Amino acid sequence: MNENQSFDDRLMEAAGSLETEVTPERDLWPEIQSVIATPSRSRRNTLFAQAAAIVLLVGASSGITYLAMNKQMQYVTPPPPNGLNVEHASFGDNYMLGPEYQDARNGLKAQFDEGLESMTPRERADVLKNLEAIRSVIEEINRALANDPENALLQELLLSTYQEELSLMMKIDNVANAMNRTDF
Amino acid sequence: MEALLAAGATVAAVTEQGQLDEQTWVERAQRADTTAFEALYRMHVDKVYGLCLRMTGNTAEAEDCTQEAFIQAWSKLSKFRGDSAFSTWIHRIAVNTVLGRMRKSRREQDRVQAVTDISPAPVTTGDSGNLEDLQQAVDGLPDGARHVFVLHAVYGYSHDETGNMLGIATGTSKAQLHRAKRLLAQQLKQNGYES
Repeated sequence: MNENQSFDDRLMEAAGSLETEVTPERDLWPEIQSVIATPSRSRRNTLFAQAAAIVLLVGASSGITYLAMNKQMQYVTPPPPNGLNVEHASFGDNYMLGPEYQDARNGLKAQFDEGLESMTPRERADVLKNLEAIRSVIEEINRALANDPENALLQELLLSTYQEELSLMMKIDNVANAMNRTDF
Repeated sequence: MEALLAAGATVAAVTEQGQLDEQTWVERAQRADTTAFEALYRMHVDKVYGLCLRMTGNTAEAEDCTQEAFIQAWSKLSKFRGDSAFSTWIHRIAVNTVLGRMRKSRREQDRVQAVTDISPAPVTTGDSGNLEDLQQAVDGLPDGARHVFVLHAVYGYSHDETGNMLGIATGTSKAQLHRAKRLLAQQLKQNGYES
């Protein structure tokens, strides 16, 4: 027992000798500064963008399901008119959702980009890899749809993949908002 | 704990410019002066990073936690009234950050399969010889036991303070310390140390 107590004492003494101050291997300040220098944005605007995108996407999804049930494969629309702000890399070259969805989605993307800036480089790289994977799937589905434009299953898959992209962007935005919370 | 407060007071007295004390930097930072907040960061980063590193056992995680803790501190500065030392306050935020990230990490592991597999970088703490062995043994403890051991045995917080920081009862803190000691004894014996 005494031996055990002695070991405990030595253990606690050794623990008390461990360094409590350790210098990070790199300067962490520049990334902190870039985050705290960015003014926090309106939570209301973010929620509005999210809600608008969700409503439009759910509407599109319901529409395609309805049309598929009625054997009318007319849902996926052709490319938008010139001048419309659309990222072809995200949505494939041929099949687009409506301009309202694009507007809502572009608004959400702006919030997403801000959220990305508040993340560490490692986290940012992980998120971008996930996003890249989703977008490459969207492009692949679009290529398949080019060969089989009336395939309802592919259209459903395309919409659910859009939802995945939207979900990821919202998740990042929510994380960024949580980091900016002041009700700690 | 008194030793910690004394150390905090010493740090406060020695500023970058040798003129302003910690309280003045805090007041300036509370008026959204990022230069003042950087001074506070420089004063406390080593201790906050050290705590994060001991608690996570992972260099990259510790860097992320440190950054997140200071970002949280910036957003909550207006609520800091000086009832405790700034070092104690930022420590509490760092502990919460570590625990929050660990909870989130566990949830994410359940839900998402990561695209990349990042290997944790080896921990470098500045300890040498037997202390390095002890640190490695501490890193191998289960989360609960490790957190209590680090806060109580390494950073000198009482069981009440440790329990309060970790959101556990004082008795649980004592039990986790006992468990940590037992596991460390087993681990160190395996490495050739005699009890």
